[in-house]
Amino acid sequence: MENLEVINITKTFSLSKKQQRIEKTKTKLKVAVKELSFTAYPGEIYGLLGPNGAGKTTTLRSIATLIKPDTGEIKVGDASTLKDPNGVRAKIGFLTSELKLEEHFSPNYLFTYFARLHGIVEEKIEERKEILFKKFGIDKFSEVKVGELSTGMKQKTSIAISLVHDPDYVIFDEPTNGLDVLTARSVTDYLEELKNAGKVVIVSTHILSVVEKLCDRVGIIIDGEMKVNDTINKVKSLDETGNLENVFFNLVEEAAQLRGEF
Amino acid sequence: MKNILTIFKKEFYRVISDRRLVFTVMLLPGLAIFMMYSLLGNAIGNQISSIQEHRIIMYQEYMPTAFKDMLIANEVKVDIMDLNDSDFDVVKQQIIDGEVDIMIIFPNDFESKILDYATQDNPEILTYYNFTEDYSSSAYNTMYGWLDVYSDEIVKARLDAPEDINPFDMDLDNPYHRLGTEDEASRKGMADLLPMLIIMFLFSGAMSIGPDSIAGEKERGTIATLLVTPIKRSEIAIGKVLSLSLLSLFSATSSFIGIILSLGKLMQSEGNVSIAFTTNEYILLFLVLFATVLVIVGLISNISAYAKTVKEASMLIMPLYFASIAIGMMSMFGGEPSTNPVVYLIPLYSSVNAIIQILVGSVSMATILVMLISSVVYVSILIYMLNRLFQNEKVMFKK
Ligand SMILES: Nc1ncnc2c1ncn2[C@@H]1O[C@H](COP(=O)(O)OP(=O)(O)O)[C@@H](O)[C@H]1O
Ligand SMILES: [Mg+2]
Repeated sequence: MENLEVINITKTFSLSKKQQRIEKTKTKLKVAVKELSFTAYPGEIYGLLGPNGAGKTTTLRSIATLIKPDTGEIKVGDASTLKDPNGVRAKIGFLTSELKLEEHFSPNYLFTYFARLHGIVEEKIEERKEILFKKFGIDKFSEVKVGELSTGMKQKTSIAISLVHDPDYVIFDEPTNGLDVLTARSVTDYLEELKNAGKVVIVSTHILSVVEKLCDRVGIIIDGEMKVNDTINKVKSLDETGNLENVFFNLVEEAAQLRGEF
Repeated sequence: MKNILTIFKKEFYRVISDRRLVFTVMLLPGLAIFMMYSLLGNAIGNQISSIQEHRIIMYQEYMPTAFKDMLIANEVKVDIMDLNDSDFDVVKQQIIDGEVDIMIIFPNDFESKILDYATQDNPEILTYYNFTEDYSSSAYNTMYGWLDVYSDEIVKARLDAPEDINPFDMDLDNPYHRLGTEDEASRKGMADLLPMLIIMFLFSGAMSIGPDSIAGEKERGTIATLLVTPIKRSEIAIGKVLSLSLLSLFSATSSFIGIILSLGKLMQSEGNVSIAFTTNEYILLFLVLFATVLVIVGLISNISAYAKTVKEASMLIMPLYFASIAIGMMSMFGGEPSTNPVVYLIPLYSSVNAIIQILVGSVSMATILVMLISSVVYVSILIYMLNRLFQNEKVMFKK
């Protein structure tokens, strides 16, 4: 398996009037991600850490071929998001943040549906379904409508669906957001399993403890810029206390000073 | 092709496995039309029978006894009041207010003038009624008829003529007097309202499922899950449009059945109205409906793909919905299909005219073909646009 490389991507959005009001800005353009680079390795979990609006979702969507960066390139193994988006799509499992599956359908139905769209043969679908549903405890609820499932079970179903095709590259946007402790734990446990199976795993989060417990490598992204990008231990050692929280707050404060807010 | 089918099946299943949607999309249109037409039919029926049962309230002055006796002998449902107990202007106002149906004033020398007709002018009878009131108008028609009979009697007396003074008879023995068939009458009746109702129900059918199927994916975030699968964007577009079209066609069929069932009531004939559509007409109607559905679904799909949320989509569709109802209404009072071929190039308006053509049974194949072919062209453009919208990250991931 090969690395996933994000090479110097920049993404600018033009803001709607409404957005300008919300973000209290007069500028029409918003640089969501600026010259951002990092590499995620097989058998490791890469954590993209940053406050709200930092550019995490924009980065992950670019990797998932959902949006095109203005400049820069992303290589998922030997496939480039620009030149071979379908090659990339076949390799990645993408979980969008705050995904709400259609409430009317059962996990069973939706799993089969997305598996077919991924072009998986019927016997393989059942095989994968059995494994993943068992793993997440969905098997007992597989015929219950999504709308009637608990928040945790919904998220587990979303995760199972994003992994229908057993992808080598797993990209999860805020996967434990809004989950109870137990469900969050079962999700991070599974991510570790994927890592141990030698896959490339990238998660984004604004929660420090997730990064601390789970990630081998971390990139701290603030205002669209990569401030730090290293192994978790090296990043922690940036502050004499060895505490990730301190490192993070120092960087956030620095950025605020740069913007002239303090 | 396989992917189109997968998308199609899922969207289709979404609706038919949802009792609420099955009701609103498939049962409600037919049921609503049936109830509407039935109520309308009953209302018209009630009105007619209440006029027939109504006793005419009539004021009179110097009415000859011969005429009065004639009304009584023929059991005409009328209450005759004398004006001299009352004031002329008061009764006039009562007629305007609908309290009195008619006032008839004979001159006081009426009978002497009739007798001395050789030396005197014709006497003039004055009648007053309210033409905006159904009871009053009908009272006038009734009394006019009886005065006519009375005048015949007088003529007979003058001529000392035999019983039958009519110089000729009309249609005493002519079974074909009323040409035109019940079928034609029913068809005309249908052509007044049906095109608008069809457009309305096609639209509302598509409106109740389209936004959720497309804008809903954006709102829920499932669009990302869909777009990271390696299927073509055009397959998503076609799959969704086809399934939405089939479902909307069901709601059109439902309205159609509702109309056929209730037409009997509207036409006031007991039992069945004979509408004999030919197989060709059925096929053409189906094709026109299907083409119309495709255009409507194409429009709704594009708006839904553009909107950020289901609510926004529904809001944006509203003006189009009202416009299409207005187009449908244009047919309501004309009942004649346009013969101008250019009309058959205008989406929706072409549908209305084509539907009228088929309903009244005056099909012009050339214009229907223009309508069908132009619809196919529009739908292709709309599907292409939808496909482009699915590819447009600015639209799909709008903030
Ligand atoms: N489609 C878009 N249109 C306009 N602005 C956007 C769009 N997506 C993101 N942004 C802006 O880009 C910035 C980064 O957003 P995002 O990547 O979602 O941050 P995060 O996921 O870290 O919270 C934010 O200021 C956001 O408002
Ligand atoms: Mg985000």
